[in-house]
Amino acid sequence: MGLPKLAPAQAAHDKLKALGILALNGMFDEMDALSVLRYAVSDVLPGDLAIVSSFGADSAVLLHMVAQVDPSMPVYFLETGKHFAETLDYVETLKKQLGLINVHAIHPSSDDVKRFDPNGDLWETDPDSCCHIRKTEPLEPVTEQYGGWVTGRKRYQTSERGVLPHFELTSDDRIKVNPLAYFSDADVVEYRQKHSLPEHPLYAKGYKSIGCAPCTSIVAEGEDPRAGRWRGLNKKECGIHYDFSGAIANPMTAAARHTLWKDGAFIADPFKEWVEGTAPSEARYTHVPLREFLANRADYLASQHPLGLMISPGEKIEDVVEDLSRFASIAIKFPAFSDGRGYSTARLLVERFKYAGEIRAVGDVLQDQIPHMRRCGFNALVVTHEPSRQALIENRLPEMALFYQPVGVTEVPLGTRPFLRRVS
Amino acid sequence: MYRYDEFDAAFVAGRTAQFADQVKRRLSGELSEDQFRPLRLMNGLYLQLHAYMLRVAVPYGTLSSRQMRKLAHIARVYDRGYGHFTTRQNIQYNWPKLKDIPVILDELASVEMHAIQTSGNCIRNVTTDQFAGAAADEIIDPRPVAEILRQWSSLHPEFSYLPRKFKIAITGAPQDRAAIRFHDIGLQAAVNGAGEIGWEVWVGGGLGRTPMIAKLINSFVPNEHLLAYLESIMRVYNRYGRRDNKYKARIKILVHEEGLETIKGQVEAEFAEVRGGVLTLPSEEVDRISAYFAPPDFAQQSLTKLDVAYESIIDPAYGRWLDNNINAHSQPGYASVTVSLKPVGGAPGDATDTQMEVVADLAETYSHDELRVTHEQNLVLPHVALADLRTVYDALVAAQLADGNTNTIADMICCPGLDFCALANARSIPIAQEISRKFAEPARQQEIGELKIKISGCINACGHHHVGHIGILGVEKKGGELYQITLGGDATEHASVGKIIGPGFEAENVPDAIEKLVDFYIAQRQGTDETFIQAYRRLGEAPFKEALYGTA
Repeated sequence: MGLPKLAPAQAAHDKLKALGILALNGMFDEMDALSVLRYAVSDVLPGDLAIVSSFGADSAVLLHMVAQVDPSMPVYFLETGKHFAETLDYVETLKKQLGLINVHAIHPSSDDVKRFDPNGDLWETDPDSCCHIRKTEPLEPVTEQYGGWVTGRKRYQTSERGVLPHFELTSDDRIKVNPLAYFSDADVVEYRQKHSLPEHPLYAKGYKSIGCAPCTSIVAEGEDPRAGRWRGLNKKECGIHYDFSGAIANPMTAAARHTLWKDGAFIADPFKEWVEGTAPSEARYTHVPLREFLANRADYLASQHPLGLMISPGEKIEDVVEDLSRFASIAIKFPAFSDGRGYSTARLLVERFKYAGEIRAVGDVLQDQIPHMRRCGFNALVVTHEPSRQALIENRLPEMALFYQPVGVTEVPLGTRPFLRRVS
Repeated sequence: MYRYDEFDAAFVAGRTAQFADQVKRRLSGELSEDQFRPLRLMNGLYLQLHAYMLRVAVPYGTLSSRQMRKLAHIARVYDRGYGHFTTRQNIQYNWPKLKDIPVILDELASVEMHAIQTSGNCIRNVTTDQFAGAAADEIIDPRPVAEILRQWSSLHPEFSYLPRKFKIAITGAPQDRAAIRFHDIGLQAAVNGAGEIGWEVWVGGGLGRTPMIAKLINSFVPNEHLLAYLESIMRVYNRYGRRDNKYKARIKILVHEEGLETIKGQVEAEFAEVRGGVLTLPSEEVDRISAYFAPPDFAQQSLTKLDVAYESIIDPAYGRWLDNNINAHSQPGYASVTVSLKPVGGAPGDATDTQMEVVADLAETYSHDELRVTHEQNLVLPHVALADLRTVYDALVAAQLADGNTNTIADMICCPGLDFCALANARSIPIAQEISRKFAEPARQQEIGELKIKISGCINACGHHHVGHIGILGVEKKGGELYQITLGGDATEHASVGKIIGPGFEAENVPDAIEKLVDFYIAQRQGTDETFIQAYRRLGEAPFKEALYGTA
């Protein structure tokens, strides 16, 4: 194919940085996963590349490719201690059948488990922290040994992965190789059938994306395959995919109660507070203040990380109207409950600019204002005021069932003012 | 008049239950006073100098006899036997107990009344001409639109935490009896070239520490677009009104600082977006609401003219009452009667439970069951047959409600002042009482003619002193109370703001100062037809100043 030949690891790395990830990503056909992998192993990071596999429902495809390219590539399996027995069996099956000769299990630190999860139920109260001690922490010393990683992530899996390329450069100058980035669910199935790869024993039972046993559930026909992961929580990634140096919830602080109320429950919040001085390319899962976004708009738009936007009173949503689809979440700040500007902002977002993502109220969010917020289009709330939290949990908000005026995009309920039932 | 349907009743019941829960949480300590404040204010409950004060909404100042009797009942059972009618056409109770508030609100709900949005930084009770639906000079009855505005603005989720309170007044008559040019938004009925009736929209008027006359922002908005247009103004105000300083937070400051053209541009841009949308008001809905305000079944009256001159000879007091307290009605043989709440030595606007009962009975028997509250703190029987006037008058005499002093020097607007109000710097009721004693003689009142005195106990101007022909403002100076006098204010379609003409007076010297001004006016006027305000406009400020303070 006449691809450029690159020198050993360090030099390759330097060259890669100089070339830019964009050039590298332009080298391969979208579906040519095997070439991507081969080139990564032989040219980009020879001897400096490893893979972390969950040995989940569609891990077999990537592992099959690895076995073809280099059966001695280090394969790490996160033995979190929470896996289904079927998964552990599956590890052995694949090892044997594919001929992988360099598979290692990584275990969590027993000190961490004793300290943060003595009863083994941390997954229930704080899945972020559970992932942290069982995946992120144990993986860290291992990742430091390699210049890059092969992952099985695919674009279609979650909305945040919609822009996933073949090659990524992480903020600590490592390379992530995603050979399957463009594979669809059907492509995976087809590949598996073509090569007669063994199926994960749970796949046939309805598990389409398999992680630790407590946090995995069956997905319905037609549902997003990853819907079964952390079901009911506002959580889509376990943390190890954020970034190798990515800031994942510290178990001590994250063990505190959740403050994000969404879809009827307090859930783990994937978003962290924006930190002044964060480089635009490094910002991820944070609500970037509107003025900061506007000041570095091109950088933020070029970044592929999931982002939110923070609007403070006095800022005009009109200023960012072209870029709304860039944001997974828009936070509207209420510095004091008595400052009602955020209500107008929310209505404009929903009714005029048709923004369909998360709109969250942050700041002085109290039970007596929450019904107004909901009517104006807020679908998530960050609530720290204890009586208000209790009122939400016990479903006793001072809510009025009847409205005189049409607000929002849904039709005014039947029984309300006749002239207001019409929708524009 | 408007009757609640099931929806309205359920709405008020729901709101009452909601506030009852909030009161319970306050009493249990779950809510701090800071957290309770905005909630109680949204339900008309203030914490005053001595006690809680409950302000009950009288939408566009219209009441039935049943409602008035309930107000009397509340005054008797939960307060000290009286209530205070306000310049916003509402009623205030000065001594309710917090624990009784939920019960009082239940009582009110049973007669289709509430205290929703009578305070707080939201859209307040919509006020109007006290003679709406009765006045001879009316283009259209503004109450159907006022009722639609009441509904639209009730618990509006976007506009419940505005920079500051927001007051809308509407009038259907060319003669402005609702002071629409001194409201955040004023609506005046207008007729366009095609002969259709719509609304002039005035914006940015107000009193307080920075009095402003409203500016005309749109000369004709048809009914169908009125809600969309008002929502556009509200959104511009909610987004851009100042919140850094509560004294500069009203829309009048926004309009003043940004300029009418800028605000108009913003409003029109917003209107272009929302116009024709879900807020479009179908004419069927206007008709449906208007049906509630259909004129009562007036009877054919044989008596269609009053001989006031004759009556004055027979009974001078009755003659004066006919002269001052009767307003021309659109229906031949009928009149609207102003029931004065300005007795000599009384607190303007106060009525006892007994007086409220009497007025309720008269309304039921002689005024097609209707009553009005005026922004000048009187009551009105809007539809009384001329043939019944004497009977009504006699009943009012017995209840000490028959002072024939409407629009005279005795017909003062006065805020509660330092006797009740937590904001006041000075007393105002005692000043009004002293002036009324000074000018107690009916013949003297009659000689002076129309003269509006308005008294406020602090700069917030609840007593409308800026628009008094003579305004009196109580201020605190070196620990004492001092009263500044302004001249030339006018709340009508000839709107003007009064000017301070010189140093203030001690309380005891105020009545004499007023008398000097009055005497000077009588000496200078070109006949008895020239009123005080007309004479002031002709002569200017200087001679009045000289009359009051002497030559420099």
